[in-house]
Amino acid sequence: MTASVTISDVNHWFESYHALSDINLEIEPGEYVTLLGPSGCGKTTLLSTLGGFIEPTKGQILIGGQDMTRVAPAKRPTTTMFQDYALFPHMSLRDNVGFGLRMAGIGRRDRLARADEMLDLVGLKDAGHKRPHALSGGQRQRVALARALAVKPEVLLLDEPLGALDLKLRRAMQDELKSIQKKIGTTFIHVTHDQEEAMAIADRIVVMNKGRIEDHGPPDRVYRNPATLFTADFMGENSHITGRNAADGIHTAFGRLPHGGDMPQGPAAVCLRPEDLRADDQGSFAMGQATIRDAAFFGTYCRAHLAPDNDPDNILTAYLAADGRWAAGGRVTLSADMYSFRVFEGA
Amino acid sequence: MMRALPWVYLIVAFVFIYLPVGTLVLFSFQEGNLPVPPFNGPSLKWYATILGDDDLMEALRNSLVVAFGSSGVAVALGFMAAYGLARHVLPGSGLMRGLLIAPLTVSYLIVGLGLLIVLTRTGLGISLWTAAIGHVVINLPLAFAIIYASMGAQQQNAERAARDLGASEAQVIFLITVPMLLPSIAAAFFLSVTLSWDEFIISFLLTRFDVTLPVEIWSLLRSGLSPQLNAIGSFVFLISVAVVLLIELLVFRRRT
Repeated sequence: MTASVTISDVNHWFESYHALSDINLEIEPGEYVTLLGPSGCGKTTLLSTLGGFIEPTKGQILIGGQDMTRVAPAKRPTTTMFQDYALFPHMSLRDNVGFGLRMAGIGRRDRLARADEMLDLVGLKDAGHKRPHALSGGQRQRVALARALAVKPEVLLLDEPLGALDLKLRRAMQDELKSIQKKIGTTFIHVTHDQEEAMAIADRIVVMNKGRIEDHGPPDRVYRNPATLFTADFMGENSHITGRNAADGIHTAFGRLPHGGDMPQGPAAVCLRPEDLRADDQGSFAMGQATIRDAAFFGTYCRAHLAPDNDPDNILTAYLAADGRWAAGGRVTLSADMYSFRVFEGA
Repeated sequence: MMRALPWVYLIVAFVFIYLPVGTLVLFSFQEGNLPVPPFNGPSLKWYATILGDDDLMEALRNSLVVAFGSSGVAVALGFMAAYGLARHVLPGSGLMRGLLIAPLTVSYLIVGLGLLIVLTRTGLGISLWTAAIGHVVINLPLAFAIIYASMGAQQQNAERAARDLGASEAQVIFLITVPMLLPSIAAAFFLSVTLSWDEFIISFLLTRFDVTLPVEIWSLLRSGLSPQLNAIGSFVFLISVAVVLLIELLVFRRRT
């Protein structure tokens, strides 16, 4: 079961605080969407309006083409997987998973069979008789997933579901969530503040900030070609270079870059990803010499801070080859590919 | 020497607490007519006397009915008040909480006198029912406070999840909230039972012909000391202990 979600002109105020402003979003049936943003950006509020826990002050929410804006959570074709799992501690896992079916009036035998099937799906086949307190955090999380999926929702809402897990388990659960979603085809809308998680899991990332959608698109596009400076910074590390947009290109301390689109003349923020900054002269845009401030070994790369001769106060970040050549005080030649720069209006 | 000191203290403390009860129980097995040393038992004759005393047995039954009935009502009302105040934003909820808990600070004598005045002035009269009402008045704040204190974010999230899965409000309360709060609901209930079971002043003021056990004991006391009273006291103590053990077994053991 799967359905599309249409959010149109949704606005929400908490007292005088404008928590959501002019949210418009189309989600396709069977899509895996993440809502990504810093805490307080409105992503959980938006998810709550989809689940029916918050009624938006203005706007409309359609699920599968039906207006659901003012429908109670119980009557929506959505279920939510909560941040703290919210399992029922006084029930066995089978009864937890079967709860939604019990509410739907399905007989004991059928619902227990379905509960076992769902527990099997999340890899807890033989644990049906256990109580939630006997489980680890990762297992509770799986039970919460099984419970939310047991009622065959058209849309599953996930509210920072992996937040309480350690890094290794989180990576494993991301893969699992993704494969379960592909298997059952339900629309998943997943809230997170972890951009790596969002990129690992989503078909489409919706970046939010201060109650607005900053950007949305496939992970690689949002990472490589972000729509706004906020998105560029939130999706990973960036070095900022101040520039000035003029008729003949963007003037920076490192030279002139070609125009990127039709931008008004004036101050410009030029961004460069650390992995795009090269410690050689092979890039199409030469950036002169730089002094290494410090370099730290990160396994697959060496993260270095560089003070360029052309703009010594603007420390650049680079991911250099992890071969130990880099020592503080050393000198390197910098260059980058002309097309790896992203230019935004303003400073 | 220094290591023995804590043990000496412990023993002295327990003797201080339990010597009166121990003496009471011991002399309930007295053979003679006075519950004073020397002990010349053991004998069960005083237990036979009280079990054969119809007034006493009637008072015992009254006490049990009042204790369980009034506790049930107090806990039901306390739970509803706690649920309402914990789950909904109401105007003046701080004041309402305060007013619900305030009777705890009022002495039983004042509660009893107040009810007595109201009941006689309105012509409703006094009976076992009015004593039970008095016990609801004193136990409701306690039940409310215990249940309200145990309502946390954990139940609230579970309730939200249940609603999300299609549960109606009644199903949320009976399938999620009450079972999750069962330890504190049971603790409130049994605590109310023991308080009501022991309570004297309100029962004394608000009963007339059908009396509770403490009131019956008081009227027996007026005719002087007798091992019969020790036997009743032991009996009352035994029931209190049974209730406490029941709490221990039903409520606290289940958590582990």
